[in-house]
Amino acid sequence: MIGQRIGLTIKNILVWLAFIGIALFVLSPILWGIKTSLAPRYDYGFFPSKLTLDHYFALFQRVELFIYFRNSLFVAGGSITIVLPVAILAAYSLARFKFRGSQFGVLFLVLPMLPAVAILVPLIAYMNKIGLYNTLLAVILVNAVFNMPFAIWMLRNFILANPFSIEESALIDGCSRVQMLILVAVPMMAPGLIAVVIFVFINSWNNYMYAFALTSSPGHRVLPQGILAFLGSWGTYWGGLTAIGTLALIPPVVLFLIFQKWFVAGLFGQQLK
Amino acid sequence: MVHESLVGKRGLPYLFLLPAAILLLGLLISPIITGVVMSFQITDLGGTTLWSGVANYKLLIQETRFLGNVRNSIVYVLGNIILSTPLAYAAALLITSKFTQAQFFRGFYLLPWIIAPVVSTVLFRSMLDPRLGPIAKLIEWLAGREVIILADPFWALAFVVFHSFWRSFPFVMLFLAAGIATIPGEIYEAATVDGAGRWKRFIHLTLPMTSNQLGISLLIITIWTLHDAETIYAFTGGGPGYSTETLAVRLFKSSFINFDLNMGATIGVILIVLSLIFMSFYLRLTIGRGAER
Repeated sequence: MIGQRIGLTIKNILVWLAFIGIALFVLSPILWGIKTSLAPRYDYGFFPSKLTLDHYFALFQRVELFIYFRNSLFVAGGSITIVLPVAILAAYSLARFKFRGSQFGVLFLVLPMLPAVAILVPLIAYMNKIGLYNTLLAVILVNAVFNMPFAIWMLRNFILANPFSIEESALIDGCSRVQMLILVAVPMMAPGLIAVVIFVFINSWNNYMYAFALTSSPGHRVLPQGILAFLGSWGTYWGGLTAIGTLALIPPVVLFLIFQKWFVAGLFGQQLK
Repeated sequence: MVHESLVGKRGLPYLFLLPAAILLLGLLISPIITGVVMSFQITDLGGTTLWSGVANYKLLIQETRFLGNVRNSIVYVLGNIILSTPLAYAAALLITSKFTQAQFFRGFYLLPWIIAPVVSTVLFRSMLDPRLGPIAKLIEWLAGREVIILADPFWALAFVVFHSFWRSFPFVMLFLAAGIATIPGEIYEAATVDGAGRWKRFIHLTLPMTSNQLGISLLIITIWTLHDAETIYAFTGGGPGYSTETLAVRLFKSSFINFDLNMGATIGVILIVLSLIFMSFYLRLTIGRGAER
């Protein structure tokens, strides 16, 4: 009995060590970054002599930082605004209708695997031709389109997981299909919509390549692109760089931690809720 | 509002798909075709476009820089896979276990995957700084001399891979966890009663029953790392020299910095062809699973 109990305790300790070991591997760069952003400039220790918000205050003096934040929010918001209605319609069609060609729906699952970096090259020429080169609208469009296939696929799976009977009874009660879609089906897919919004937000918030390729003036830079420019010009001013990195990290991390359940279910299937 | 009677029941599913189809055809599919065309053209200094046949491809294949790009892409992809898989399995087993802390830790384990490449670059590069970085100090101690990590071709490539591994292992972990979660608990109990140890249960039960998920997630990682220009470009810019320049980074620099769009398109076609091969494997594996994801 006692031997077994000791065995159990040792096993527990080992499991805790494994949990904490991986957590250290994952978190140490983040913790190091936060520490560096709060430490005085030439304080290299693991535990800084004092904590300071100087690097953050120095950042807030820079007008361009606010422009980058605003541009990033605008791009993320714009992309979501385009993706959401388009994805609702397409996903609903794939999930609830039987029609010729519906087996090609699986294309939405594989389209995200096309190399965005390669598709951007001709897109520069396209945007030039339609007069959108060097506008944030071009960045929004490309973000929306590149995130759309998987958003549709994700939403389709959420709709499939809901029973059709409720939508059916709404139809029997005399709703038109469009009424039923707006009043019954869309509210029922709310967790899926949240997953889509988080997915598109995080992807467009984190991406700098589309803006890098499709815009040229500094006033159109998105936040990660701005950080890249700081990285080039500030060299080793790690206090400032980690401070802006920490600020950029907050929105996706907060959203993710709040809505983790649905986001994970959207990407990896319902069994991981 | 579109009324049903206007399109009829048969037209409705197509109508619903129309906006998505227009956007995807216009800005995702047709650029691919344009890209293929551009790869067979050159643009002279005056901006005139001329047909050049396979000249761009010939030029690329004869370059030593291009061979280096291919080599770096292979190292980048394989390095990611080799490092991610064992840690991802271990983490997946932990977060699907019955321990009460599993749910709590899962949220943390996923963080690297939602952090922007530029931000994780800042975090890692501050740790690699020769004067204050803890990793730099560790490498210095291991090598017995001062190493400027990002100026050294070997160490730069090693940390390009490591940084990317840190970013991508959570994805493999979650994918495997989704597979493990579908294995019925009774099978494990039966195996335990039969005297199978932890390791045996992993080799004979978990591994075969998650092989499909492993295959799919490794294919996804392969495709992502093959396409990934952002992470490496921020981290090293492809340097020192061309020693961390993968195909995707080369494409990125050729097109978006040097504006040699025809050369960019040529490398793009190579990437697209490679992707199509991996995509077909991926489709086969997914449909084999009943395409339920």
